[in-house]
Amino acid sequence: MTRVSWLLLGALLTVATAAPAFGETTLEKLNRTGALTIGTRTGSPPFAFVNKQNEWVGFAIDLVEQAVKPALERKIGKPLKVEKKESTPPTRIPLLSSNAVDLIAGTMTHTRTRAESVDFSITYFVTGAQFLVKKGSPLKSIQDIAGKRIATQQGATNARILRERVPTAQLREFPDQPAAFQALVQGQVDAYTNDGIQLAGLQAKAPNPNDWEIVGDFYSYEPYGFAMRKNESDFRHLVDVGLMEAIESGKYFELYDKWFGPKGEVPYPLSPENRRFLQLQVVPR
Amino acid sequence: MNDQFEWSVLWSGQSGQWLLSGLLTTLRLSALAWVLAAILGVAAGALRTAPVRPLRILATAYVEFFRNVPLLVWMFFWYFGVPPLLPRPAQDWLFAHGAEFWAAVCALGVYHGARMSEVIRSGIRAIPRTQLEAAVATGLTTLQAYRLVILPIALRLIVPPATSESLNLLKNSSVALTISVAELTFQTRQIETYTARAIEALTAGTLIYLGLCVSIATVMGWVERRVAIPGLIAPGR
Repeated sequence: MTRVSWLLLGALLTVATAAPAFGETTLEKLNRTGALTIGTRTGSPPFAFVNKQNEWVGFAIDLVEQAVKPALERKIGKPLKVEKKESTPPTRIPLLSSNAVDLIAGTMTHTRTRAESVDFSITYFVTGAQFLVKKGSPLKSIQDIAGKRIATQQGATNARILRERVPTAQLREFPDQPAAFQALVQGQVDAYTNDGIQLAGLQAKAPNPNDWEIVGDFYSYEPYGFAMRKNESDFRHLVDVGLMEAIESGKYFELYDKWFGPKGEVPYPLSPENRRFLQLQVVPR
Repeated sequence: MNDQFEWSVLWSGQSGQWLLSGLLTTLRLSALAWVLAAILGVAAGALRTAPVRPLRILATAYVEFFRNVPLLVWMFFWYFGVPPLLPRPAQDWLFAHGAEFWAAVCALGVYHGARMSEVIRSGIRAIPRTQLEAAVATGLTTLQAYRLVILPIALRLIVPPATSESLNLLKNSSVALTISVAELTFQTRQIETYTARAIEALTAGTLIYLGLCVSIATVMGWVERRVAIPGLIAPGR
């Protein structure tokens, strides 16, 4: 028995250390396969979700298709196909480092800790964490959550902040947004916390949006960026160039209006500060 | 992969504490679910061989219903589906006292009970029919014959497949993270969230599961030899 176990352990470790030994850069991979594989979401409207017509669409996907893809195509000199894979907060970094995807285009906050493992593009969206509660709930902000049951999404930055700021709050962490929202609907938890824009998206998609409200000031700063494998500055530069050109040409704001405008999936006006912030990230040619 | 491994994330900060609490939750969840699965498994397995037709039908229905639906669905069923059937005060009490943990115990226990019963049924089937008849002929009732003769032999016969099934139960307890139970796999993800070091965290989790399963298998191998009835069942190795 034990001898067999040691053999197994040895085999496992050999496989684990020998597997990822490719020397190919991402640009070489794009050139060879003609496809850019992105890891994105199926349930985060309006960034990336499956709509009523069963199409996988969203703001982040549009930015990849219409801003990032053209910049990459110009560089490698041939058309690229965008392939989409589902990625969740716990799986997105492993997906990148195992070469299963080339770019994470979802709702990933750029943090200093994450930047030790992956590289980020310039910021393409700014939001902050808030709470989604049943309309009329006494819970109004982070000051009211002590002792309360709060659903969060595992792998997101919010749970960490809550654990540090309000250690007495009872966190229930779910791997995906629909399960967390279901727990809120049934009263298993008192509130669901996530980035404000995600809550707005969830509320807009709920069967009865008016039963819910988003409360509290932003208790965190969540700048979203596209994540890439580390130490590939040529690829990252092209992704940044694509985003900068879209902001410069107004394409970005057109897409913003398509998804967040008054007629969009989730109406969420762009504040003048955020518009200015986006424009200031564009460095000269 | 062009970044270096950094194994120190596993013992710096709170990682060690998280892994330990995850391990304890996994063990508590698996142990409770195992007790439930063993009770249901023995009952259903015995009933499926019982000489009373309605009992056989009842046991078969339980087994086929519960083992043929994915465990993930059962997790959601016990967590999201069952509480709304209870009166409001009972719901509130449950939600405040770890509803997700007990839902996971039920899901895991009932699901594996159905699978366990098939193992036990095979054990009972492996015993020649004459054994039951001989037991009854000595004046035992059918119930007594099952309790005193058939089940004690069957339970010894099934130690190897039941060990396998128990290890499956332990590993399947990781599905409970979908309903927010903070077990071992959940905690490895937690480390990943804090440190962005997925490979290191997953490796730690893998090694802990492996260690746990190997120790259980070793203990069960010892139990198997220990309880063997000399001359009745050939000793395993």
